[in-house]
Amino acid sequence: MELAASRLIAADRAAVWAALNDPAVLQAAIPGCSELTGTPEEGFEAVVTQKIGPVKATFRGAVTLSEVVEGESYRIAGEGKGGAAGFAKGGARVRLSDAEGGTQLDYEVEASVGGKLAQLGSRLIDGVARRLADQFFDNLQAQLAPDVAAAEAEAVEVAEAVDEAEAGKETKGWFARLRS
Amino acid sequence: MYNFDFARPDTLQDAQAALRADDAQALGGGQTLIPTLKQRLAAPAILVSLTAIPELKGICLADDGRLCIGGATTHATVAREAAAHYPALAQLAGNIGDPAVRNRGTIGGSLANNDPSACYPAAVLASGATVITDRQEVAADDYFQGMFATALGEGEIITEVRFPVPQAANYQKFVQPASRFALVGVFVARFAHGVRVAVTGASEGGVFRWHKAEAALGDDFRAEALGDLAVEADGMIGDLHGTPEYRAHLVRVLTGRAVTAAA
Repeated sequence: MELAASRLIAADRAAVWAALNDPAVLQAAIPGCSELTGTPEEGFEAVVTQKIGPVKATFRGAVTLSEVVEGESYRIAGEGKGGAAGFAKGGARVRLSDAEGGTQLDYEVEASVGGKLAQLGSRLIDGVARRLADQFFDNLQAQLAPDVAAAEAEAVEVAEAVDEAEAGKETKGWFARLRS
Repeated sequence: MYNFDFARPDTLQDAQAALRADDAQALGGGQTLIPTLKQRLAAPAILVSLTAIPELKGICLADDGRLCIGGATTHATVAREAAAHYPALAQLAGNIGDPAVRNRGTIGGSLANNDPSACYPAAVLASGATVITDRQEVAADDYFQGMFATALGEGEIITEVRFPVPQAANYQKFVQPASRFALVGVFVARFAHGVRVAVTGASEGGVFRWHKAEAALGDDFRAEALGDLAVEADGMIGDLHGTPEYRAHLVRVLTGRAVTAAA
């Protein structure tokens, strides 16, 4: 699953960059994140709980920043195990540029899941991943520019989905599926 | 399955109290939740069954003509007892899953879960029904908030669903044969003041109304009136059973069939 989108945040680039490196801001922005500790340099430890329909899983794992270009772009990636539910990993390439009225934030997200979660099928995973990514950037936007965020959330967003889910492409025989 | 406690209260008040416990989970007919628990994909501390509360069960016709269905009413009961009042709804209920699902599964459970491929959300949205809970009354248009997301709060219980009965209606489901879920399902309902078309199984956003078709059918309630209207494949579900384009195509085809069957 990959998707790309961009949005305009009514704050200057330095402020957006600082927020993207602040554990407290990240914790508040990551949907379902109850704990996030660590530093941008050494990486973060995160606990994230997701409830999708009847499924509820708590993921414990690491969030790392890489390919950091100070003030301009980085890649944020998370990977966690959700007990019997399986594992999930996802990442986003985030790029900032100056724009009229604030900072333009471009992002490309990719996500994949494994284990029992993957058996839910891409029918669910794609939609869920897209919703979570949107929520993350909505939350970020709301923290940086609370006044305009609500109004712009719908207007600015030009998400276009690309490609199929890696999770959905997993081809397992019916027997293997029964056994796992 | 992990261990859990089990409560089966016989009053709404007791159920509300039990659901205030930490990690409590309401249980309808258990046709989605129990398989999920068996897979260890969820681990509630306590399950609160809603199936022993008499006031949540049964079907009646209100004085204003609306059909009232208790939240813990099974699909089989709706199939049987709604047939005289709202045949299209009864037909939908009678084709959900298999006999085991219909005799255990409840309308409240289906709506609280809001699976993007479930049948009931299409009927509720197309009928413009009202979902009544122990805290609020929500119009169908506000109730469904995307795949698995609803207007329900934590521990909130669906007590009743009230359906305005349309002049004519029909539900067409393209069955995914293994699960009997809707690969795509379309519910068309014609009222004195207009037509409503709700689509399930197709969109990543869950059940949705096809407004363009509603407008076209409002003027001329025939399948031909749809002309070359089509829904965008963008945002449709794609999986090994069907591509987004295929599902978008099915929406158009099934809407036509539903209109023909209803007229």
